[in-house]
Amino acid sequence: MKLFEYQAKEVFRSHGIPVPPSVLVETVPEVQKVLGEIGLPCVLKSQVLRGGRGKAGLIPFVRTEEQAVTEAQRLLGSEQVPMLLVESAVDIDREIYLSVTVDPVAATALIIASAAGGVEIETLAQTDPEKIVQEPVDITIGLMPYQVNDLVYRLGLNGDVAKQTKKVITNLYAIFEAYDAELVEINPLFVSKQAEVIAGDGKLIIDENSMHRQKGYERTRAYYDSDMEFEAAQEGIPYLQFDGDISLMCAGAGLTTTVYDLVNYEGGSVANYLEFGGPNYRKAVRAMELCLQNESKVILMVTFGTIARADVMAEGIVDAINRLHPDRPIVTCIRGTNEEEAVRILRAAGLEPLFDTEEAVRKAVAIAKGAC
Amino acid sequence: MSIFIESDTRVLVQGMTGKEGSFWTKHMIDLGTQVVAGVTPGKEGLEVEGRPVYHSVRRAAAEHEIDAAMLFVPPRFTKDAVFEALDSGIQKIVTIADGIPLHEMVQIRAAARSNGAMVVGGNTSGVISPGTAMMGMFPYWIERVYTPGRIGVMTRSGSLTNEVTAMVVRAGFGVSSLIGIGGDPVPGTRFAEMLPLYEQDRETDAVVIIGELGGTMEEEVAEAMRDGRFTKPVVAFLGGRTAPKGKRMGHAGAIVTGGKGTVEGKIKALTEAGALVAERPRFVGELLQELLK
Repeated sequence: MKLFEYQAKEVFRSHGIPVPPSVLVETVPEVQKVLGEIGLPCVLKSQVLRGGRGKAGLIPFVRTEEQAVTEAQRLLGSEQVPMLLVESAVDIDREIYLSVTVDPVAATALIIASAAGGVEIETLAQTDPEKIVQEPVDITIGLMPYQVNDLVYRLGLNGDVAKQTKKVITNLYAIFEAYDAELVEINPLFVSKQAEVIAGDGKLIIDENSMHRQKGYERTRAYYDSDMEFEAAQEGIPYLQFDGDISLMCAGAGLTTTVYDLVNYEGGSVANYLEFGGPNYRKAVRAMELCLQNESKVILMVTFGTIARADVMAEGIVDAINRLHPDRPIVTCIRGTNEEEAVRILRAAGLEPLFDTEEAVRKAVAIAKGAC
Repeated sequence: MSIFIESDTRVLVQGMTGKEGSFWTKHMIDLGTQVVAGVTPGKEGLEVEGRPVYHSVRRAAAEHEIDAAMLFVPPRFTKDAVFEALDSGIQKIVTIADGIPLHEMVQIRAAARSNGAMVVGGNTSGVISPGTAMMGMFPYWIERVYTPGRIGVMTRSGSLTNEVTAMVVRAGFGVSSLIGIGGDPVPGTRFAEMLPLYEQDRETDAVVIIGELGGTMEEEVAEAMRDGRFTKPVVAFLGGRTAPKGKRMGHAGAIVTGGKGTVEGKIKALTEAGALVAERPRFVGELLQELLK
């Protein structure tokens, strides 16, 4: 689960990583109200989860109250920005990159740092790979002080800045451990002209498989790109919204992704990606309901399950048809365990089940194009 | 001969008395697997399919020779179960659990490496050498998909494996050994680490890799091919070629791997190393026909 910047910074603050003074607001009058407390100049930081906020104009630097109001109106007036973090501007001397993640090959934690922060780290990896330093950490032992010590000197830091940065690295690793992080990142970590080390940004992604022991983060609408994705998530159904005309109601992440590719190869377009396999294979009614909320022209169902039984899925599909009376054609290719029974169930309900994925995809594309 | 499991591999089933454990234990035995015992704390004295159940792995290991452990254990208890198997010196472990916490999976892989053991999974269907033995959850309708033959298969997916392997069979081939590496970001064993076993296996003529976007496992296969560590033909199918970018990838992940991880990058690496990359599942069978005719 990817947290918002303001949440990541709350975690930083409570773990001893300095952050600039800031207030979270949702309306333009609130922005005006907090300017007295935060001071000018300041930064209006849109709280959205996608990257590249700076380039997209979502983090304006403002010098006056009028400017602040104009920019706040522009941002909060758009539908994509639900909240702004109004944050004091820092008098920046230099920027550092710092993150902790997992190295899946070495089976360690990995600290990545660079004295050339502020730019995207993958860009830096292409242009200046020698400016990136890495330190693997044995996850069962934890981060040792000698590693932190060596790391800051490899970054070329000295004196009090080195000392402050050591503390930030130690605390960042503690957050990585305590929050079961997939990634915790500070980019940029500011060194101010007053030689203070302060987190300019904050990114914290908690491992989805560890959410049972990471309480306190409720998944609200703000975490999702669309109402539909939010609604599906409430049911635990993997769902992505697109704007094409074929609704995918498939099973298995790999197979659904492959059907998505095949639809594109055949010249079709996907309205939504939906998986009703795995733990959801008895949720055909709910899955179809979600598909029908799209303005798609056809629902394409492809499965090839072992544990997710084909006959159970077929029963669910027929039940969904009887309850929801879908206003658009359904193409099925339901295979796997108890497939013969599934075929009987689908035929009895008047469907014509197919057995070949590509054939099913071509049929759905033809229907979407009005060809049959 | 097969890889990972053979007809005489003695298998312990951890979590044997549960619904999944007992169901798949029967199936594994039916497919030829030498299941010797099981473990469920508190259930010693019971039997499943005529095999004795013990309170702990140590107690089972005191009574039986064990080569491999099959875990039907929920994700939150998988770390404990893997370490318990390692503690008794078991060198081959398969876990099907979907949802193992990331940091625990890192610890599992690290422990397996330092013990010289191999953990396959999680989030996988397991391992099967059709006609010989099976550890995991492969269907009864195996003839159509898991028919014996001379093609090795390694996969990160479940349903897609049924789809692609069916195409291998449709093209007139069968499977020597199939290893479900699993769909998690940190699998216990990686594609490239299985290649030496396939290289040595006299029953494998070529290997099919079912991969997808993310991570660097496919690139590592390409590296092994370039270095001459793997010399048999490889056909790869990669899901997610047209997937939209940026839904889940973190920046730090991209840097560890030096910009690797996109499907385009994987296709390039594999093609340059001499692998054939199939655009559709059906082409996997057709490419094998071209290669092995």
